[in-house]
Amino acid sequence: MKLFWFEIVKTFSRWRTYIGFGVIALIVVLTEVVMKLSATEILYRMMRSLQKDFLIFGNILNGWFVTAFIMNGLHIHIPFLIALVAGDIVSSEATSGTVRFLLIRPPSRYKIITAKYVTTLFYTAGLVIFLGLVCILPGLLLFGSGDLVLHHYGRFGIVFIPEVEIPLRMLFAFMAAIWSMTVVASIAFLLSTLVENSIGPIIGTMAVVVVFLVIGNFPFDFFQSLKPYLFTTYMIFWQRFLDDPIPLREIATSATILGLHSIGLFFIAFGAYARKDIKS
Amino acid sequence: MKKILWLLWVLFLLSPEQIQAQEDATHYLDTLGKKYSGLKDYTVDVRVHFDIEGFKAPDMLAKLYFKTPDKMKIESKRVFFLPKEGGYFNPFMFKKEEFEIRLLERLTYDSRNAVKLRLTPKKMKGSTRDFVLTIDADQNLIREMNISSFEGREVKAVIEYGKFSDFELPTHIELQLDIPFNESRRIKDFGQSAPKTERITGKVEIGYSNYKVNSGLRDEIFKETEPPLLRGGS
Repeated sequence: MKLFWFEIVKTFSRWRTYIGFGVIALIVVLTEVVMKLSATEILYRMMRSLQKDFLIFGNILNGWFVTAFIMNGLHIHIPFLIALVAGDIVSSEATSGTVRFLLIRPPSRYKIITAKYVTTLFYTAGLVIFLGLVCILPGLLLFGSGDLVLHHYGRFGIVFIPEVEIPLRMLFAFMAAIWSMTVVASIAFLLSTLVENSIGPIIGTMAVVVVFLVIGNFPFDFFQSLKPYLFTTYMIFWQRFLDDPIPLREIATSATILGLHSIGLFFIAFGAYARKDIKS
Repeated sequence: MKKILWLLWVLFLLSPEQIQAQEDATHYLDTLGKKYSGLKDYTVDVRVHFDIEGFKAPDMLAKLYFKTPDKMKIESKRVFFLPKEGGYFNPFMFKKEEFEIRLLERLTYDSRNAVKLRLTPKKMKGSTRDFVLTIDADQNLIREMNISSFEGREVKAVIEYGKFSDFELPTHIELQLDIPFNESRRIKDFGQSAPKTERITGKVEIGYSNYKVNSGLRDEIFKETEPPLLRGGS
Protein backbone atom coordinates (compact mmCIF):
# COMPACT_ATOMS: atom_id res chain seq x y z
CA MET A 1 0.00 0.00 0.00
CA LYS A 2 2.88 2.31 0.87
CA LEU A 3 4.55 1.51 -2.44
CA PHE A 4 1.30 2.21 -4.27
CA TRP A 5 1.02 5.55 -2.48
CA PHE A 6 4.61 6.45 -3.46
CA GLU A 7 3.85 5.59 -7.06
CA ILE A 8 0.69 7.70 -6.98
CA VAL A 9 2.62 10.67 -5.60
CA LYS A 10 5.37 10.20 -8.21
CA THR A 11 2.88 9.89 -11.07
CA PHE A 12 0.72 12.82 -10.08
CA SER A 13 3.71 15.09 -9.39
CA ARG A 14 4.64 14.91 -13.10
CA TRP A 15 3.06 17.53 -15.32
CA ARG A 16 2.72 14.95 -18.10
CA THR A 17 0.02 13.20 -16.04
CA TYR A 18 -2.27 16.21 -16.37
CA ILE A 19 -1.99 16.52 -20.15
CA GLY A 20 -4.70 13.86 -20.55
CA PHE A 21 -7.10 15.59 -18.16
CA GLY A 22 -6.47 18.98 -19.80
CA VAL A 23 -6.95 17.67 -23.32
CA ILE A 24 -10.17 15.87 -22.39
CA ALA A 25 -11.59 18.93 -20.63
CA LEU A 26 -10.72 21.13 -23.61
CA ILE A 27 -12.14 18.81 -26.26
CA VAL A 28 -15.32 17.98 -24.36
CA VAL A 29 -16.16 21.56 -23.35
CA LEU A 30 -15.41 22.79 -26.88
CA THR A 31 -17.59 20.05 -28.39
CA GLU A 32 -20.46 20.79 -26.03
CA VAL A 33 -20.35 24.53 -26.72
CA VAL A 34 -20.27 23.94 -30.49
CA MET A 35 -23.13 21.43 -30.19
CA LYS A 36 -25.13 23.96 -28.20
CA LEU A 37 -24.55 26.65 -30.81
CA SER A 38 -25.42 24.38 -33.74
CA ALA A 39 -28.21 22.41 -32.07
CA THR A 40 -30.62 22.81 -34.99
CA GLU A 41 -28.11 21.57 -37.54
CA ILE A 42 -27.13 18.60 -35.37
CA LEU A 43 -30.76 17.66 -34.82
CA TYR A 44 -31.42 17.89 -38.53
CA ARG A 45 -28.49 15.59 -39.32
CA MET A 46 -29.42 13.19 -36.54
CA MET A 47 -33.07 12.86 -37.37
CA ARG A 48 -33.08 13.63 -41.10
CA SER A 49 -33.96 10.10 -42.14
CA LEU A 50 -36.59 9.66 -39.42
CA GLN A 51 -38.33 12.98 -39.93
CA LYS A 52 -39.67 11.79 -43.27
CA ASP A 53 -41.93 9.38 -41.42
CA PHE A 54 -42.29 10.66 -37.87
CA LEU A 55 -43.12 13.87 -36.10
CA ILE A 56 -40.57 14.06 -33.29
CA PHE A 57 -41.13 16.02 -30.10
CA GLY A 58 -39.14 16.48 -26.92
CA ASN A 59 -35.59 17.14 -25.85
CA ILE A 60 -33.61 14.66 -27.94
CA LEU A 61 -30.36 16.62 -27.89
CA ASN A 62 -29.93 16.32 -24.13
CA GLY A 63 -26.93 15.85 -21.85
CA TRP A 64 -27.10 12.06 -22.07
CA PHE A 65 -27.11 12.07 -25.84
CA VAL A 66 -24.17 14.49 -25.88
CA THR A 67 -22.27 12.18 -23.51
CA ALA A 68 -22.88 9.12 -25.71
CA PHE A 69 -21.94 11.16 -28.79
CA ILE A 70 -18.63 12.34 -27.29
CA MET A 71 -17.83 8.88 -25.93
CA ASN A 72 -18.30 7.47 -29.42
CA GLY A 73 -15.98 10.07 -30.87
CA LEU A 74 -13.27 9.91 -28.23
CA HIS A 75 -12.78 6.21 -27.60
CA ILE A 76 -10.07 6.11 -30.28
CA HIS A 77 -8.19 9.08 -28.84
CA ILE A 78 -8.25 8.20 -25.15
CA PRO A 79 -5.69 5.35 -25.62
CA PHE A 80 -3.09 7.94 -26.59
CA LEU A 81 -3.66 9.88 -23.38
CA ILE A 82 -3.42 6.68 -21.36
CA ALA A 83 -0.23 5.59 -23.12
CA LEU A 84 1.28 8.96 -22.25
CA VAL A 85 1.43 7.97 -18.59
CA ALA A 86 1.33 4.16 -18.71
CA GLY A 87 4.18 4.08 -21.23
CA ASP A 88 6.32 6.20 -18.97
CA ILE A 89 5.67 4.67 -15.57
CA VAL A 90 8.45 2.03 -15.62
CA SER A 91 10.79 3.32 -18.30
CA SER A 92 11.03 6.75 -16.65
CA GLU A 93 12.99 5.11 -13.81
CA ALA A 94 15.62 4.04 -16.33
CA THR A 95 15.59 7.40 -18.10
CA SER A 96 16.07 9.34 -14.90
CA GLY A 97 18.63 6.85 -13.56
CA THR A 98 16.66 5.89 -10.45
CA VAL A 99 16.01 2.27 -11.41
CA ARG A 100 19.08 0.89 -9.61
CA PHE A 101 18.36 2.93 -6.52
CA LEU A 102 14.78 1.63 -6.57
CA LEU A 103 15.63 -2.03 -7.02
CA ILE A 104 18.32 -2.28 -4.33
CA ARG A 105 15.79 -1.18 -1.67
CA PRO A 106 14.04 -3.84 0.47
CA PRO A 107 10.70 -4.09 -1.45
CA SER A 108 10.83 -6.93 -3.96
CA ARG A 109 10.65 -6.35 -7.71
CA TYR A 110 7.28 -8.08 -7.70
CA LYS A 111 5.86 -5.60 -5.22
CA ILE A 112 7.33 -2.66 -7.12
CA ILE A 113 5.99 -3.75 -10.50
CA THR A 114 2.57 -4.55 -8.99
CA ALA A 115 2.42 -1.12 -7.33
CA LYS A 116 3.32 0.52 -10.64
CA TYR A 117 0.68 -1.50 -12.49
CA VAL A 118 -2.02 -0.66 -9.95
CA THR A 119 -1.03 3.00 -10.26
CA THR A 120 -1.38 2.73 -14.05
CA LEU A 121 -4.85 1.27 -13.63
CA PHE A 122 -5.72 4.00 -11.11
CA TYR A 123 -4.69 6.67 -13.61
CA THR A 124 -6.63 4.94 -16.40
CA ALA A 125 -9.77 4.74 -14.28
CA GLY A 126 -9.29 8.35 -13.17
CA LEU A 127 -9.02 9.56 -16.74
CA VAL A 128 -12.17 7.75 -17.90
CA ILE A 129 -14.13 8.87 -14.81
CA PHE A 130 -12.96 12.42 -15.50
CA LEU A 131 -14.20 12.06 -19.09
CA GLY A 132 -17.55 10.88 -17.75
CA LEU A 133 -17.91 13.75 -15.31
CA VAL A 134 -16.82 16.40 -17.78
CA CYS A 135 -19.28 15.02 -20.36
CA ILE A 136 -22.28 14.50 -18.10
CA LEU A 137 -22.22 17.48 -15.73
CA PRO A 138 -21.79 20.34 -18.23
CA GLY A 139 -23.88 18.31 -20.70
CA LEU A 140 -26.88 18.20 -18.37
CA LEU A 141 -26.33 21.84 -17.45
CA LEU A 142 -26.22 23.01 -21.08
CA PHE A 143 -28.68 20.61 -22.72
CA GLY A 144 -30.90 19.42 -19.88
CA SER A 145 -31.99 15.85 -19.25
CA GLY A 146 -34.37 13.56 -21.13
CA ASP A 147 -34.78 10.15 -22.71
CA LEU A 148 -31.86 8.85 -24.71
CA VAL A 149 -32.67 8.20 -28.36
CA LEU A 150 -29.83 6.58 -30.24
CA HIS A 151 -29.92 6.08 -33.95
CA HIS A 152 -27.61 3.56 -35.57
CA TYR A 153 -26.18 5.27 -38.62
CA GLY A 154 -26.25 3.44 -41.92
CA ARG A 155 -29.14 1.14 -41.03
CA PHE A 156 -32.56 1.54 -39.52
CA GLY A 157 -32.23 1.13 -35.80
CA ILE A 158 -33.58 3.23 -32.99
CA VAL A 159 -32.89 2.57 -29.34
CA PHE A 160 -34.98 4.51 -26.88
CA ILE A 161 -33.79 4.47 -23.25
CA PRO A 162 -36.11 6.03 -20.67
CA GLU A 163 -34.54 8.79 -18.60
CA VAL A 164 -34.78 6.84 -15.32
CA GLU A 165 -32.64 4.00 -16.69
CA ILE A 166 -29.88 6.17 -18.13
CA PRO A 167 -27.73 6.99 -15.05
CA LEU A 168 -27.28 3.31 -14.18
CA ARG A 169 -26.62 2.31 -17.78
CA MET A 170 -24.10 5.16 -18.13
CA LEU A 171 -22.37 4.01 -14.94
CA PHE A 172 -21.98 0.51 -16.37
CA ALA A 173 -20.93 1.94 -19.76
CA PHE A 174 -18.14 3.96 -18.12
CA MET A 175 -17.08 0.97 -16.03
CA ALA A 176 -16.88 -1.02 -19.26
CA ALA A 177 -14.87 1.80 -20.85
CA ILE A 178 -12.41 1.65 -17.93
CA TRP A 179 -12.17 -2.11 -18.41
CA SER A 180 -11.42 -1.65 -22.14
CA MET A 181 -8.81 1.03 -21.53
CA THR A 182 -7.09 -1.28 -19.04
CA VAL A 183 -5.89 -3.36 -22.00
CA VAL A 184 -4.39 -0.29 -23.65
CA ALA A 185 -2.76 0.66 -20.34
CA SER A 186 -1.40 -2.89 -20.01
CA ILE A 187 0.17 -2.79 -23.48
CA ALA A 188 1.84 0.54 -22.72
CA PHE A 189 2.91 -0.81 -19.32
CA LEU A 190 4.45 -3.94 -20.86
CA LEU A 191 6.35 -1.92 -23.46
CA SER A 192 7.48 0.41 -20.71
CA THR A 193 9.10 -2.49 -18.82
CA LEU A 194 10.94 -3.61 -21.96
CA VAL A 195 12.64 -0.35 -22.93
CA GLU A 196 14.51 2.46 -21.24
CA ASN A 197 12.81 5.47 -22.78
CA SER A 198 9.20 6.65 -22.76
CA ILE A 199 8.68 7.56 -26.40
CA GLY A 200 8.90 3.97 -27.63
CA PRO A 201 6.08 2.60 -25.42
CA ILE A 202 3.80 5.56 -26.19
CA ILE A 203 4.26 5.31 -29.96
CA GLY A 204 4.28 1.51 -29.82
CA THR A 205 0.96 1.39 -27.98
CA MET A 206 -0.68 3.78 -30.40
CA ALA A 207 0.72 1.83 -33.34
CA VAL A 208 -0.81 -1.39 -32.00
CA VAL A 209 -4.19 0.25 -31.35
CA VAL A 210 -4.33 2.06 -34.69
CA VAL A 211 -3.18 -0.96 -36.74
CA PHE A 212 -5.71 -3.23 -35.01
CA LEU A 213 -8.51 -0.72 -35.51
CA VAL A 214 -7.66 -0.28 -39.19
CA ILE A 215 -7.43 -4.03 -39.79
CA GLY A 216 -10.71 -4.57 -37.97
CA ASN A 217 -12.52 -1.99 -40.06
CA PHE A 218 -11.31 -2.95 -43.54
CA PRO A 219 -14.30 -4.37 -45.41
CA PHE A 220 -12.31 -7.24 -46.91
CA ASP A 221 -13.06 -10.85 -46.06
CA PHE A 222 -9.48 -11.60 -45.03
CA PHE A 223 -9.39 -8.75 -42.50
CA GLN A 224 -12.91 -9.46 -41.34
CA SER A 225 -11.86 -13.03 -40.51
CA LEU A 226 -9.11 -11.63 -38.29
CA LYS A 227 -11.52 -9.36 -36.43
CA PRO A 228 -12.46 -11.82 -33.63
CA TYR A 229 -8.78 -12.12 -32.72
CA LEU A 230 -8.20 -8.39 -32.26
CA PHE A 231 -8.77 -6.94 -28.82
CA THR A 232 -9.91 -3.67 -30.39
CA THR A 233 -13.04 -5.49 -31.61
CA TYR A 234 -14.19 -5.89 -28.02
CA MET A 235 -13.11 -2.45 -26.77
CA ILE A 236 -16.40 -0.83 -27.71
CA PHE A 237 -18.44 -3.21 -25.56
CA TRP A 238 -19.40 -0.23 -23.38
CA GLN A 239 -21.83 0.71 -26.16
CA ARG A 240 -23.79 -2.49 -25.51
CA PHE A 241 -25.01 -1.04 -22.20
CA LEU A 242 -26.93 1.47 -24.34
CA ASP A 243 -28.65 -1.27 -26.34
CA ASP A 244 -32.12 -2.66 -25.81
CA PRO A 245 -32.17 -5.35 -24.58
CA ILE A 246 -28.69 -5.30 -23.06
CA PRO A 247 -26.79 -8.22 -24.64
CA LEU A 248 -25.34 -9.63 -21.41
CA ARG A 249 -23.72 -12.66 -23.05
CA GLU A 250 -21.87 -10.46 -25.55
CA ILE A 251 -20.80 -8.12 -22.77
CA ALA A 252 -19.55 -11.02 -20.64
CA THR A 253 -17.57 -12.44 -23.60
CA SER A 254 -15.99 -9.08 -24.41
CA ALA A 255 -15.17 -8.37 -20.76
CA THR A 256 -13.58 -11.81 -20.34
CA ILE A 257 -11.47 -11.50 -23.49
CA LEU A 258 -10.28 -8.02 -22.50
CA GLY A 259 -9.65 -9.15 -18.90
CA LEU A 260 -7.54 -12.07 -20.10
CA HIS A 261 -5.54 -9.70 -22.30
CA SER A 262 -4.85 -7.38 -19.35
CA ILE A 263 -3.83 -10.24 -17.04
CA GLY A 264 -1.66 -11.82 -19.74
CA LEU A 265 0.07 -8.55 -20.55
CA PHE A 266 0.65 -7.83 -16.87
CA PHE A 267 2.23 -11.25 -16.28
CA ILE A 268 4.55 -10.79 -19.25
CA ALA A 269 5.54 -7.39 -17.87
CA PHE A 270 5.94 -8.98 -14.45
CA GLY A 271 8.31 -11.62 -15.88
CA ALA A 272 10.25 -9.09 -17.92
CA TYR A 273 10.74 -6.82 -14.93
CA ALA A 274 11.84 -9.71 -12.73
CA ARG A 275 14.59 -10.55 -15.22
CA LYS A 276 15.60 -6.95 -15.85
CA ASP A 277 19.35 -6.49 -15.82
CA ILE A 278 20.25 -3.32 -13.92
CA LYS A 279 23.97 -3.95 -13.70
CA SER A 280 24.90 -2.97 -17.24
CA MET B 1 -55.53 5.91 -85.53
CA LYS B 2 -54.00 7.65 -82.52
CA LYS B 3 -56.49 10.50 -82.84
CA ILE B 4 -59.40 8.08 -82.89
CA LEU B 5 -58.17 6.39 -79.73
CA TRP B 6 -57.85 9.77 -77.99
CA LEU B 7 -61.34 10.70 -79.07
CA LEU B 8 -62.74 7.45 -77.73
CA TRP B 9 -60.94 8.02 -74.41
CA VAL B 10 -62.34 11.55 -74.10
CA LEU B 11 -65.82 10.26 -74.93
CA PHE B 12 -65.41 7.57 -72.28
CA LEU B 13 -64.42 10.15 -69.68
CA LEU B 14 -67.38 12.31 -70.59
CA SER B 15 -69.82 9.41 -70.54
CA PRO B 16 -72.79 9.88 -68.18
CA GLU B 17 -71.64 6.93 -66.01
CA GLN B 18 -68.21 8.49 -65.48
CA ILE B 19 -69.61 11.92 -64.69
CA GLN B 20 -72.08 10.33 -62.28
CA ALA B 21 -69.26 8.39 -60.56
CA GLN B 22 -67.20 11.57 -60.24
CA GLU B 23 -70.11 13.43 -58.67
CA ASP B 24 -70.77 10.55 -56.29
CA ALA B 25 -67.15 10.48 -55.20
CA THR B 26 -67.18 14.20 -54.43
CA HIS B 27 -70.46 13.77 -52.61
CA TYR B 28 -68.86 11.38 -50.06
CA LEU B 29 -66.20 13.94 -49.16
CA ASP B 30 -68.86 16.66 -48.92
CA THR B 31 -70.91 14.55 -46.52
CA LEU B 32 -67.83 13.82 -44.45
CA GLY B 33 -67.04 17.53 -44.23
CA LYS B 34 -70.62 18.37 -43.20
CA LYS B 35 -70.58 15.67 -40.51
CA TYR B 36 -67.66 17.37 -38.76
CA SER B 37 -68.56 20.98 -39.60
CA GLY B 38 -69.37 21.67 -35.95
CA LEU B 39 -65.97 20.39 -34.77
CA LYS B 40 -63.79 23.36 -33.81
CA ASP B 41 -61.10 21.73 -31.72
CA TYR B 42 -60.29 18.78 -29.55
CA THR B 43 -57.78 17.69 -26.92
CA VAL B 44 -56.95 14.03 -26.46
CA ASP B 45 -54.49 11.77 -24.63
CA VAL B 46 -52.45 9.69 -27.05
CA ARG B 47 -50.64 6.42 -26.42
CA VAL B 48 -48.38 5.13 -29.19
CA HIS B 49 -47.19 1.55 -29.28
CA PHE B 50 -44.49 0.63 -31.79
CA ASP B 51 -44.08 -2.82 -33.19
CA ILE B 52 -41.41 -2.15 -35.78
CA GLU B 53 -38.29 -4.20 -36.31
CA GLY B 54 -35.31 -2.11 -35.23
CA PHE B 55 -37.42 0.47 -33.40
CA LYS B 56 -37.07 -0.36 -29.74
CA ALA B 57 -39.15 2.04 -27.71
CA PRO B 58 -41.60 1.75 -24.84
CA ASP B 59 -45.15 3.07 -25.28
CA MET B 60 -45.13 6.84 -25.63
CA LEU B 61 -47.72 9.13 -24.04
CA ALA B 62 -48.65 12.68 -24.94
CA LYS B 63 -51.50 15.15 -25.04
CA LEU B 64 -52.57 16.19 -28.52
CA TYR B 65 -54.28 19.51 -29.25
CA PHE B 66 -56.07 19.99 -32.55
CA LYS B 67 -57.82 23.06 -33.89
CA THR B 68 -59.45 23.46 -37.27
CA PRO B 69 -58.47 23.70 -40.03
CA ASP B 70 -55.04 22.12 -39.44
CA LYS B 71 -53.40 23.32 -36.22
CA MET B 72 -51.84 20.55 -34.14
CA LYS B 73 -49.70 20.53 -31.05
CA ILE B 74 -48.17 17.77 -28.97
CA GLU B 75 -47.44 18.22 -25.28
CA SER B 76 -45.19 15.60 -23.76
CA LYS B 77 -42.73 15.66 -20.89
CA ARG B 78 -40.70 13.03 -22.68
CA VAL B 79 -39.50 12.30 -26.19
CA PHE B 80 -42.47 11.46 -28.39
CA PHE B 81 -42.64 10.01 -31.90
CA LEU B 82 -45.86 10.22 -33.90
CA PRO B 83 -46.16 8.75 -37.41
CA LYS B 84 -46.43 11.59 -39.88
CA GLU B 85 -48.96 9.85 -42.11
CA GLY B 86 -52.18 8.93 -40.36
CA GLY B 87 -50.92 9.60 -36.86
CA TYR B 88 -53.74 11.93 -35.92
CA PHE B 89 -57.26 12.63 -37.10
CA ASN B 90 -58.08 15.70 -39.12
CA PRO B 91 -61.48 15.38 -40.81
CA PHE B 92 -60.75 18.47 -42.90
CA MET B 93 -57.58 17.26 -44.55
CA PHE B 94 -59.42 16.02 -47.66
CA LYS B 95 -60.73 19.17 -49.36
CA LYS B 96 -62.41 18.23 -52.62
CA GLU B 97 -60.92 21.18 -54.48
CA GLU B 98 -57.39 19.96 -53.70
CA PHE B 99 -57.76 16.43 -55.10
CA GLU B 100 -58.66 14.53 -58.23
CA ILE B 101 -61.24 12.11 -56.85
CA ARG B 102 -62.09 8.74 -58.36
CA LEU B 103 -64.59 6.21 -57.16
CA LEU B 104 -62.76 2.88 -57.26
CA GLU B 105 -65.47 0.53 -56.03
CA ARG B 106 -68.55 0.03 -53.89
CA LEU B 107 -68.14 -2.65 -51.27
CA THR B 108 -69.40 -4.01 -47.98
CA TYR B 109 -67.26 -3.14 -44.98
CA ASP B 110 -68.20 -4.58 -41.57
CA SER B 111 -71.67 -5.43 -42.98
CA ARG B 112 -72.18 -1.82 -44.03
CA ASN B 113 -72.22 -0.10 -47.39
CA ALA B 114 -68.89 1.40 -48.20
CA VAL B 115 -66.99 3.02 -51.05
CA LYS B 116 -63.36 3.15 -52.00
CA LEU B 117 -62.08 6.49 -53.32
CA ARG B 118 -58.73 7.38 -54.80
CA LEU B 119 -57.64 10.94 -54.02
CA THR B 120 -54.73 12.29 -56.04
CA PRO B 121 -53.42 15.72 -55.00
CA LYS B 122 -53.81 18.32 -57.74
CA LYS B 123 -50.71 20.12 -56.49
CA MET B 124 -47.61 18.29 -55.29
CA LYS B 125 -47.56 18.62 -51.51
CA GLY B 126 -44.69 16.67 -50.01
CA SER B 127 -44.15 13.30 -51.61
CA THR B 128 -47.68 11.90 -51.32
CA ARG B 129 -48.79 10.24 -54.54
CA ASP B 130 -52.32 9.38 -53.57
CA PHE B 131 -54.73 8.37 -50.82
CA VAL B 132 -57.18 5.49 -51.10
CA LEU B 133 -59.99 5.94 -48.60
CA THR B 134 -62.52 3.32 -47.59
CA ILE B 135 -65.54 5.30 -46.44
CA ASP B 136 -68.42 3.78 -44.51
CA ALA B 137 -71.24 5.25 -46.59
CA ASP B 138 -73.90 4.52 -43.97
CA GLN B 139 -72.14 6.31 -41.13
CA ASN B 140 -69.96 8.68 -43.17
CA LEU B 141 -66.71 7.60 -41.56
CA ILE B 142 -63.27 6.95 -42.99
CA ARG B 143 -62.57 3.35 -42.00
CA GLU B 144 -59.35 2.76 -43.86
CA MET B 145 -56.79 4.98 -45.44
CA ASN B 146 -53.97 3.80 -47.72
CA ILE B 147 -51.30 6.37 -48.37
CA SER B 148 -48.64 5.89 -51.03
CA SER B 149 -45.80 8.19 -51.90
CA PHE B 150 -43.50 8.65 -54.88
CA GLU B 151 -40.61 7.37 -52.74
CA GLY B 152 -42.28 4.00 -52.31
CA ARG B 153 -43.75 4.68 -48.88
CA GLU B 154 -46.92 2.65 -48.19
CA VAL B 155 -48.97 3.31 -45.06
CA LYS B 156 -52.30 1.70 -44.25
CA ALA B 157 -54.43 3.09 -41.42
CA VAL B 158 -57.39 1.22 -39.96
CA ILE B 159 -59.52 3.51 -37.81
CA GLU B 160 -61.97 2.67 -35.00
CA TYR B 161 -64.30 5.33 -33.65
CA GLY B 162 -66.15 6.27 -30.49
CA LYS B 163 -68.74 8.95 -29.90
CA PHE B 164 -67.62 12.09 -28.03
CA SER B 165 -69.88 15.16 -27.72
CA ASP B 166 -71.90 14.24 -30.81
CA PHE B 167 -68.78 13.61 -32.88
CA GLU B 168 -67.37 10.29 -33.89
CA LEU B 169 -63.65 10.50 -33.26
CA PRO B 170 -60.93 7.83 -33.39
CA THR B 171 -60.30 5.69 -30.33
CA HIS B 172 -57.74 3.53 -32.07
CA ILE B 173 -55.70 3.80 -35.25
CA GLU B 174 -53.62 0.90 -36.44
CA LEU B 175 -50.94 1.87 -38.90
CA GLN B 176 -49.21 -0.70 -41.04
CA LEU B 177 -45.98 0.75 -42.34
CA ASP B 178 -43.91 -0.36 -45.29
CA ILE B 179 -41.45 2.44 -45.83
CA PRO B 180 -38.06 2.75 -47.49
CA PHE B 181 -35.10 3.79 -45.39
CA ASN B 182 -31.81 4.88 -46.81
CA GLU B 183 -28.85 6.56 -45.29
CA SER B 184 -25.32 7.10 -46.50
CA ARG B 185 -22.94 4.37 -45.36
CA ARG B 186 -19.72 6.15 -46.25
CA ILE B 187 -17.45 4.62 -43.62
CA LYS B 188 -18.85 1.12 -43.54
CA ASP B 189 -18.79 0.66 -47.29
CA PHE B 190 -15.25 1.90 -47.78
CA GLY B 191 -15.93 5.23 -49.35
CA GLN B 192 -19.09 4.37 -51.25
CA SER B 193 -21.64 6.98 -50.33
CA ALA B 194 -24.44 5.62 -52.49
CA PRO B 195 -27.45 5.13 -50.25
CA LYS B 196 -28.48 1.57 -49.57
CA THR B 197 -32.23 1.21 -49.29
CA GLU B 198 -33.86 -1.15 -46.84
CA ARG B 199 -37.56 -1.43 -46.11
CA ILE B 200 -39.00 -0.90 -42.69
CA THR B 201 -42.15 -2.83 -42.04
CA GLY B 202 -44.17 -2.96 -38.87
CA LYS B 203 -47.18 -1.80 -37.00
CA VAL B 204 -47.91 1.28 -34.93
CA GLU B 205 -50.97 1.28 -32.69
CA ILE B 206 -52.27 4.61 -31.51
CA GLY B 207 -54.85 4.79 -28.74
CA TYR B 208 -56.86 7.96 -28.08
CA SER B 209 -58.66 8.64 -24.79
CA ASN B 210 -60.08 11.49 -22.66
CA TYR B 211 -61.39 13.60 -25.52
CA LYS B 212 -62.36 17.17 -24.77
CA VAL B 213 -64.25 18.54 -27.75
CA ASN B 214 -64.86 22.19 -28.62
CA SER B 215 -63.36 23.53 -25.42
CA GLY B 216 -62.34 26.74 -27.20
CA LEU B 217 -58.60 26.23 -27.60
CA ARG B 218 -56.81 29.53 -28.16
CA ASP B 219 -54.44 30.03 -31.09
CA GLU B 220 -51.60 30.92 -28.68
CA ILE B 221 -51.42 27.29 -27.59
CA PHE B 222 -50.19 26.36 -31.05
CA LYS B 223 -47.43 28.95 -31.20
CA GLU B 224 -44.05 27.26 -31.26
CA THR B 225 -41.74 27.96 -28.34
CA GLU B 226 -38.99 25.56 -29.34
CA PRO B 227 -36.87 25.27 -32.50
CA PRO B 228 -38.94 23.58 -35.25
CA LEU B 229 -36.69 20.51 -35.48
CA LEU B 230 -37.09 19.78 -31.79
CA ARG B 231 -40.81 19.84 -32.32
CA GLY B 232 -40.68 17.99 -35.59
CA GLY B 233 -43.14 20.35 -37.22
CA SER B 234 -46.86 19.82 -37.52
